Amino acid sequence: MIEVKEIEKRYGRKKILKGVSFTAEKGEITCLIGINGVGKTTILKAIMALTPLHKGQILIDGKPIDKHSFEKITFIPDSLTMLPHMTINEAMEFMKDFYTCWNQKRANELLGFFRLDPSSRISSLSKGNTAKVNLLLGLALDVDYVLMDEPFSGIDMFSREEIANVFTSHLIENRGVIITTHEIGDIEHLLDKVVLLDDGLVTKEFSAEAARENEGKSVIDVMREVYQK
Amino acid sequence: MKKYLQLVNFEFNRIVKLFTVLLGITFVAQMIGVVVQSRSYLNLANEKMYKEMMPQAEFLESFGQMSFLQIAKSSWFFGPIALCVAGVAFYIFFIWYRDWIGKNTFIYRLLMLPTSRLNIFFAKITTILLMTFGFVAVQLIMIPIEIMVLKAMVPNEFRLDLGVMEVVTSIPELTLIFPSSIMEFIFNYGLGLLAVSVLFTGILFERSYKWKGILAGLLYGALAVVVLLLPLLLHEFVLNNFFYPIELLVLEIIMGLLVLSASIWVSGFLLKKKVTV
Repeated sequence: MIEVKEIEKRYGRKKILKGVSFTAEKGEITCLIGINGVGKTTILKAIMALTPLHKGQILIDGKPIDKHSFEKITFIPDSLTMLPHMTINEAMEFMKDFYTCWNQKRANELLGFFRLDPSSRISSLSKGNTAKVNLLLGLALDVDYVLMDEPFSGIDMFSREEIANVFTSHLIENRGVIITTHEIGDIEHLLDKVVLLDDGLVTKEFSAEAARENEGKSVIDVMREVYQK
Repeated sequence: MKKYLQLVNFEFNRIVKLFTVLLGITFVAQMIGVVVQSRSYLNLANEKMYKEMMPQAEFLESFGQMSFLQIAKSSWFFGPIALCVAGVAFYIFFIWYRDWIGKNTFIYRLLMLPTSRLNIFFAKITTILLMTFGFVAVQLIMIPIEIMVLKAMVPNEFRLDLGVMEVVTSIPELTLIFPSSIMEFIFNYGLGLLAVSVLFTGILFERSYKWKGILAGLLYGALAVVVLLLPLLLHEFVLNNFFYPIELLVLEIIMGLLVLSASIWVSGFLLKKKVTV
């Protein structure tokens, strides 16, 4: 389980996170939702120790993140984290060299799934294919938790569909996923838990299934209630 | 250790193009220098001896023999060396900032590797050292080749042959790059390593605290200089030449190790706890 406990973060004098707390379970897809600038990406970066916090604590399976945690959790940001002159093959070689949890079989499967040419140079890829390579490099790691920042942002409809299909496949099964997205419609039916953020705080944390079953509300209905009241 | 070596290999492969280009420029420019300087000397000899009918002995007395020193003191020789020094100096900053700038933020990947983040610091500093020693080693190989070309171009009687060591020790600027004793080597390159480690720490301060970090980096740099010079300052201004030279040397080495350790510790702390992507 990923536990985010009362985290606070300032950029200059502006307080972005004012005590955010939530949990994300293994085997569940948790979605962070909020308007731009609310701190969704900052939360993901903080979980990966890519930005310092002013207060609060983040635990992964009960322990603070350390170097060993990166074999257990991965972050797929919205920008590519490989060198542009590399080919997809070279990027996979890099991952294989540095991560013991790299699963080449799964990487090959993802190459086929996304119909990517491994000899393509990363700098020559379209935005959609770049996002797919980013996903490939993250999902081919045998990790327990995957953090995804806006995987659908700015890419075409067909690529969005392909990426959304990943969420229903075995590639995600049994892993804990935290995702931030604006394109809620693409994956609404797949979400287990939703964390709504506003003004640096969690305004609502709820089970998507419970909202559907008990109240007959979709995630978008709940969002309307929270953000438009 | 394995991850550190893999990172060094990876970082070095990233500079190999720039490294090769700079070596190529150095080789070509210095070779042109050998040819240009030798020809200009031979042209002068031809002009004086065949047009003005100056006897060979008088020519040699007036203008001296041609030696490699004339080439080594020219900009054809020093220009590319300065370019390589500038290349290394530029790379000290670029080796960090290139991972943050541009569309592909590679720093995400580096910081998420399942290894100590200090290994990134060590790999980058090792790459700078490898680059520096690479230039020095190749320059040491180039000089004898250039001397051979000089020998092939200028006849024996007009030439004063010098060995590589004689060339190096005759030019003070070159002794900085090619120290003639172990102590000089430790002093020159130790100081260089310290400077790079302090600069790296300054860069990481900037990457962690932005504008405030620049100030923190400058203060850290100033503090490092003061700590390093402390024994010398005390010796000179407070203790009235209290130390023997050997004691002063030992104190300086201790201070150098202190600054190096502090830079490593602070950089490790910043990379682990404070750096922001």
